[in-house]
Amino acid sequence: MPSTAPVLETRFAELKRYVAFSAGDAALLADFRHTAAPNFERIAQEFYDQIRLHEEAHAVFTSEAQIARLQRSLVRWLERVFGGVYDEAYFAETTAIGRVHLRVGLPQRYMFAAMALIRASLMDLAEASSPRGYQISRAICRLLDLELAIMLESYRDDSIARVQHAERLEKEALGRDLAQTQHRYVNAVELARVLVVGLDDAGVVHLWNREAERVTGFRRDEALGRSLLELLGVDPHGEGVKVQSLLAELAAAGESALPSDRPPTEVAIFTRAGRLRVIRWHFTHAPVNDDVVSMFAIGRDSTEERAQQDRVKQQERLAAIGTLAAGLAHELRNPLNGAQLHVTELDLALRDIAGGAELLETVHVVRDEIRRLGALVTEFLDFARPRPLLVEPVVIQEVLARTVQMVTAQAQASRVAMTVDAPPGAVELQADRAKLEQVLLNLTQNAIDALTGGGRVVLRARRQPRTVTIEVEDDGPGVPPDAPIFDAFFSTKSHGTGLGLAITHRVVTDHGGSIDVESVPGRTLFRVVLPIAGPQTPSRPIFGVTSDE
Amino acid sequence: MPGTAPDPTPLRVLIVDDDDRSGRKLGDLLRRDGFVVEVCPGGLAGLQRLAERPLPDVLVTDLRMPQIDGITLARLARTHSPTLPILIVTAYPDLARRFEGADPKIQIFVKPLDYSTFVDALRALPRSA
Repeated sequence: MPSTAPVLETRFAELKRYVAFSAGDAALLADFRHTAAPNFERIAQEFYDQIRLHEEAHAVFTSEAQIARLQRSLVRWLERVFGGVYDEAYFAETTAIGRVHLRVGLPQRYMFAAMALIRASLMDLAEASSPRGYQISRAICRLLDLELAIMLESYRDDSIARVQHAERLEKEALGRDLAQTQHRYVNAVELARVLVVGLDDAGVVHLWNREAERVTGFRRDEALGRSLLELLGVDPHGEGVKVQSLLAELAAAGESALPSDRPPTEVAIFTRAGRLRVIRWHFTHAPVNDDVVSMFAIGRDSTEERAQQDRVKQQERLAAIGTLAAGLAHELRNPLNGAQLHVTELDLALRDIAGGAELLETVHVVRDEIRRLGALVTEFLDFARPRPLLVEPVVIQEVLARTVQMVTAQAQASRVAMTVDAPPGAVELQADRAKLEQVLLNLTQNAIDALTGGGRVVLRARRQPRTVTIEVEDDGPGVPPDAPIFDAFFSTKSHGTGLGLAITHRVVTDHGGSIDVESVPGRTLFRVVLPIAGPQTPSRPIFGVTSDE
Repeated sequence: MPGTAPDPTPLRVLIVDDDDRSGRKLGDLLRRDGFVVEVCPGGLAGLQRLAERPLPDVLVTDLRMPQIDGITLARLARTHSPTLPILIVTAYPDLARRFEGADPKIQIFVKPLDYSTFVDALRALPRSA
């Protein structure tokens, strides 16, 4: 309300109130001025005489001329102080004097000492010259206190300014440090090869670093404000339940809820493109109270690692199966051997018996089936437990010639014409000679087998800068389109084991090469491309076991 | 050829096989073809026989046998005769090949045995004096 509103007080009025300088004091001093004024010169003289006695104080002055000038100033000051008018202009003048003191670097204690000297002189004068000397002395004291207070204000203003300046500088420096520190932290989070996600109590994303963007495909602006589990399509009934309860536990109890050695939580997520990734998360309580982010989820993409682990497990499983299968295959040979020997005896015996010819035919079927089983075992073991490659320089023309030599009888019997088409100069490559021969023999025999009514097979070799291409071409009916011809146990032949092409494929890939087939009725071409430099990595058995039995 | 007349100086064959039926049947077939055959039903029996004299002209042995396996038997046979031909009939040819490499007098036959190939190999062996 207007009547009780505080009256705005000038600084001067405030200081006057503080030292209790009243209008009565002003009146008393105005009266005293007439007595005092004739003594001002003497007081000033005495003051500087005192100064001269004080070595340290005297040292402040540069010359007697300066002292004389200052002595005249002191007289003028005394005249002003006893002027009787103590208004804002007076305040401004005293303030100016204070600033001069400040500027010349006058120590504050000198001001007090000087004021005490002058105060003593004036009080002596008051006591001596007036029956109201005591009251006048008190007024003089308050007036000089007022003077001191105003001048000290200059010092105070200055020190405030200095402090403010210092504070400002400090703040700027602090700001720079803070900005730098902040920058470092931002960099650490952004450049880290881990997903850093800040979550609130409800599991909503508030921080999403670059790795999180990279791994999930979700941009920061797409992720912020969304539930982490929803965003990443975490199964709300499976792993989501686990994570949800973990987050709730964290939000409720803070750091104490989780032991520091708690294992990471593996969660399957969907990326923006719908690809499945496995992320291994560590959830941490964020110990800042005034931030919505109450938890950090630190994640690492462990998809590759998991896949690798799965592959190793799969290989171990296959190795175990392989060992078992190989053992079984080996052991099959023993009963086959017993059967074979007995069938052989039967065969020999039936030849000597009249009318045994029909039975002999039956026995031969059994004999052939036993042989076939034996061959299957051998091929299976070759496939499951290949011997390591024995790489040496091999001339491809020699391999082709040997292949032709091996199949000549079969080709003639099947009325198949064999042709070799290779460059005249020796084409050499690094390979396992025996296995390469096995490959060509397999492909050539397959080609001949396909030509049930006779035909033509061409073996072709060509050299490229880094590779050798070998082709086996026939003019047979061709292989069925999309038939899994390189898969184990797939066969189009009634008596095939289904392992020939699988082994061929394996040998070629073990050499670092490739094999493919083009087939239309009337023309089937198997093309093997092998690196001239040979296999670059050691071959690995299909079941992950070595050829050691 | 199977069924031909016995050789005037028949080859003496020692067969060692823990699968007694197979061993005996192979023996039957070889006798039929004019060989003189002894069959031992395992490595230990084979070992005892090799300690006796006269030694056979050829040792035919299985590889995987309990107690004394074919490789051990072949090694011990070598201590009796550095030139004794040894034919290993096995379901584990890779295992046998490791031993074969060091000894040119060892041949390997994979089960199931192709009898005619086997007999041809026996007939091709040089007769010891």
